[in-house]
Amino acid sequence: MRFQLNFKSGKPVYLQVVDQVKAAAASGAARPGEPLPSIRPLAEELRVNRNTVAKAYTELENQGIIETLAGKGCFVRANNSRLKKDVRLELLAQEIDDAVIQAHHLQVGKTEFLRLAEARFDTFEQQRDVAKKAGEP
Amino acid sequence: MNPETPVIAIDKLVRRFGRADAVAGLDLRVRPGGCYGFFGRNGAGKTTTIKCLLNLLRPTSGEVKVFGLDPARDEVAVKSRLAYVPDTVAFYPWMTVRDTLDYFASFRQRWNEHTERALLDQFRLDVRQKASHLSRGQRTQLALITAICPEPELLVLDEPTSGLDPIVRREFIQTVIGAYQEGDPGRRTVFVSTHLISEFEGLIDRFTIIEQGRDVLTLDADTARERYQKIYARFSDEQGSLDVPGAHALRRQGREIEVIVNGNAALVLARLKALSPETLTSEALTLEEIFVATLQPASVVA
Repeated sequence: MRFQLNFKSGKPVYLQVVDQVKAAAASGAARPGEPLPSIRPLAEELRVNRNTVAKAYTELENQGIIETLAGKGCFVRANNSRLKKDVRLELLAQEIDDAVIQAHHLQVGKTEFLRLAEARFDTFEQQRDVAKKAGEP
Repeated sequence: MNPETPVIAIDKLVRRFGRADAVAGLDLRVRPGGCYGFFGRNGAGKTTTIKCLLNLLRPTSGEVKVFGLDPARDEVAVKSRLAYVPDTVAFYPWMTVRDTLDYFASFRQRWNEHTERALLDQFRLDVRQKASHLSRGQRTQLALITAICPEPELLVLDEPTSGLDPIVRREFIQTVIGAYQEGDPGRRTVFVSTHLISEFEGLIDRFTIIEQGRDVLTLDADTARERYQKIYARFSDEQGSLDVPGAHALRRQGREIEVIVNGNAALVLARLKALSPETLTSEALTLEEIFVATLQPASVVA
């Protein structure tokens, strides 16, 4: 797993770690049963306080994303498919928020925005169909 | 020690040199565990404050407590539980690295030899080398080993990384995070005075900014980054008279404006949004930018 901290996001550092593990678990970048880095090396690598990493891992454990096996470390938990969907939607919502804000600045209304979203979906589907046909013998 | 007893408690501390107050009414509380930043410009009173903590200077007035104890009356009790790395480190020049470590260890009840070996390895220090032949970076590394091996409850660092090259600086901070915080992090407290704030950004839980001997701002690092925001807006045409209430500092150039807010970002954003800008963005300030914004508001947005 790779982590990237941004001190300019205004989001507490431990929450950034929490969200990145959640995103990795939801996207498949971290699979069930895979180990998370131990606290000390991760803290050293990110140059953050150990307490920050420990707090993030405690939070992830409380949310059922990871589990701690005594003497072995922290692992991504299996069976969080429902949560996975929530997390995926949450991730998407953040992206959509950015687009909505941008639409506001560019003075694009809601109806127009939704119409554009549909048009984009259709474009991608068409491209996929074309690609599929090209791939057939 | 009661877990609620602050590791460091300073009340209305004044330390006068001749006619100048180097410290002029400082209040400070450091809870156990975590890493506390003590930020100030050169001459703000950081080192004088630390010397009062270590009983190297007596306060002119006010009170200083370490672990709830008076560092003058209970000097041994206090000093046996803390370690100090000053900004310039001096060792006895005739001693080797090995002699120096043994000498320091002889004053301590505990000395973690495993940590000593690991750090000597990591820093590639030759134990047969004379202390007088060490480079500045190596002297700081040796001082850090002597400070960490006794596993003190409190680690006091005074401008520890100034004058070091970037690689030694990185290693220094990693060692504080790794080796020092390894055992019982809940009871290990780091108190670091520095003006190289960005290096310690991720390490700091809470900080105090000191200026002219007084504490001017004390906050949790996460709270600070949430409260202090830089907001940028660009409009389609020049905004004639634009006053932004609640904004800290302001730069205006044609169609663009940039402001710093402290805790009222939502309000200022709403106010700017009402003017239909083409672009409106906000980002948190880093601790270093908050430091500059606090001491010199006008110079943050250049």
